[in-house]
Amino acid sequence: MHHLDIAGLDAHYGKMPVLSGIDLTVGRGDIIGLIGPSGSGKSTILRVLMGLLPPSGGTVKLDDEPVNHADRAALRRLRDRIAIVFQQYNLFQNMTVLENVTIAPVKIKKRPRAEVEAEARALLAKVGLGDKLARYPDELSGGQQQRVAIARALALKPEILLLDEVTAALDPELVSEVLDTIRVLAREGMTMLIVSHEMAFIREVASKVVFMADGRVVETGSPAQIFDAPQHQRTRDFVSKILRH
Amino acid sequence: MSYTLQYGQIWPYLPRLFDGAWIALQIAVLAFCGGLAIGTACAAVKSFGPRWLARIVSIYVVFFTNTPQLVQIYFLYFALPDMGVLLSSFAAVLIGMTLNAGAYLTEIQRAGFESRRVSEMEAAEVLGFSRLQQIRYVILPHMARVLFPPLSNHFIIMTLGTSMAAVFGVEELTGQAFNINSQTFRSIEIFSVTAVFYVALTLAASVLLAAIGRYAFRARTGLI
Ligand SMILES: Nc1ncnc2c1ncn2[C@@H]1O[C@H](COP(=O)(O)OP(=O)(O)OP(=O)(O)O)[C@@H](O)[C@H]1O
Ligand SMILES: [Mg+2]
Repeated sequence: MHHLDIAGLDAHYGKMPVLSGIDLTVGRGDIIGLIGPSGSGKSTILRVLMGLLPPSGGTVKLDDEPVNHADRAALRRLRDRIAIVFQQYNLFQNMTVLENVTIAPVKIKKRPRAEVEAEARALLAKVGLGDKLARYPDELSGGQQQRVAIARALALKPEILLLDEVTAALDPELVSEVLDTIRVLAREGMTMLIVSHEMAFIREVASKVVFMADGRVVETGSPAQIFDAPQHQRTRDFVSKILRH
Repeated sequence: MSYTLQYGQIWPYLPRLFDGAWIALQIAVLAFCGGLAIGTACAAVKSFGPRWLARIVSIYVVFFTNTPQLVQIYFLYFALPDMGVLLSSFAAVLIGMTLNAGAYLTEIQRAGFESRRVSEMEAAEVLGFSRLQQIRYVILPHMARVLFPPLSNHFIIMTLGTSMAAVFGVEELTGQAFNINSQTFRSIEIFSVTAVFYVALTLAASVLLAAIGRYAFRARTGLI
């Protein structure tokens, strides 16, 4: 049984097709590295999975259960199990760090505040922000905000975590903080889809790498296969170009 | 020139200045609240409403933000009676200032509506917020924070603007000063004390508003 099974997924922005026939299976505890040139549709896959963009074809199954993206109740159940961290953090500016992390479990899931807060403190300590609980997002660095966003996603205890270029907006010295956090999650067996330009990192943590171009999956394989022995010309071009940097 | 300042002479009139300040404050608060209600409705129409209604709102806003407030109130006070609508001077001033505030606050609030951040709404959406919860926890707090400073500023401007009511014989702060002046002829004393009253009024309002904004909405007004 696959944890997540995507088959023949299509998506459009208006009339423009952005995803065509995406097939992707994700096992429990897998870490998928999604790579590809800008505009190839990596973010769009994550947005479709989260129900932010309705798919125009294909199926998504979670533990073999088909997900109906047009049904708000089904979406709510899906969002209980899958969480996303956006590239631009998208923190709530009017809430403190602690409130950002606790609001969904307390107000949406109606869990007891004391319990949620204790968990949130532990989570924030784990991402190295135990001393910033009462700060507001605009008082934090980009790397710190990104780690709050990760803690906020984890507070809902998702089974699957989607990470969209979570280091792209950060200064190089902040990148390692965030990558360390992801390494810890990987060790704990979290299922993750990671979109990233950090090829060395993908190579290190991913169990499977998916190379995309023009809204299609071009090639899928182990990190060694994709980075050392790519089968397709487009993969070869992309890998050689990006590894030269 | 040998004008000796005699503040002692106006001492007995101080209670009347306090009465006047109280009336000024009442006009400012009432007109501001009325204007806020009009402004919220009109801003909602301009941002989300049907085209034809938005057009009507635009005409209202353009008219009231491009004509002097004094002329607007003159119209209400002197022209409406010819059409059979008789207003007291207090009512004419209050209605005029309310309509004027409504026009300005429409524009201010529309900026707030339009600054709502898509990224935060998407974050709320994927965290499982319903539409209403998004409005309550994300949109409204954000708007309150963005709008509080410009709304506070406008309230201060309106507080000073109430002095216009004196022209129509309303016995607010400036009106009282006119009266006392015509009885004592101590112009310098009267108007300097009146100025101090206005400063105290606006300063108190600024500090109070800034404190509310700071603690309730994390809004920065520059004062606190
Ligand atoms: N909101 C939108 N409206 C219309 N088209 C969009 C929108 N967002 C993305 N697109 C288009 O969809 C295609 C895929 O975009 P997507 O953001 O998924 O690419 P990506 O692989 O994540 O790229 P990047 O590496 O730059 O983030 C692109 O051609 C893009 O121009
Ligand atoms: Mg992207």
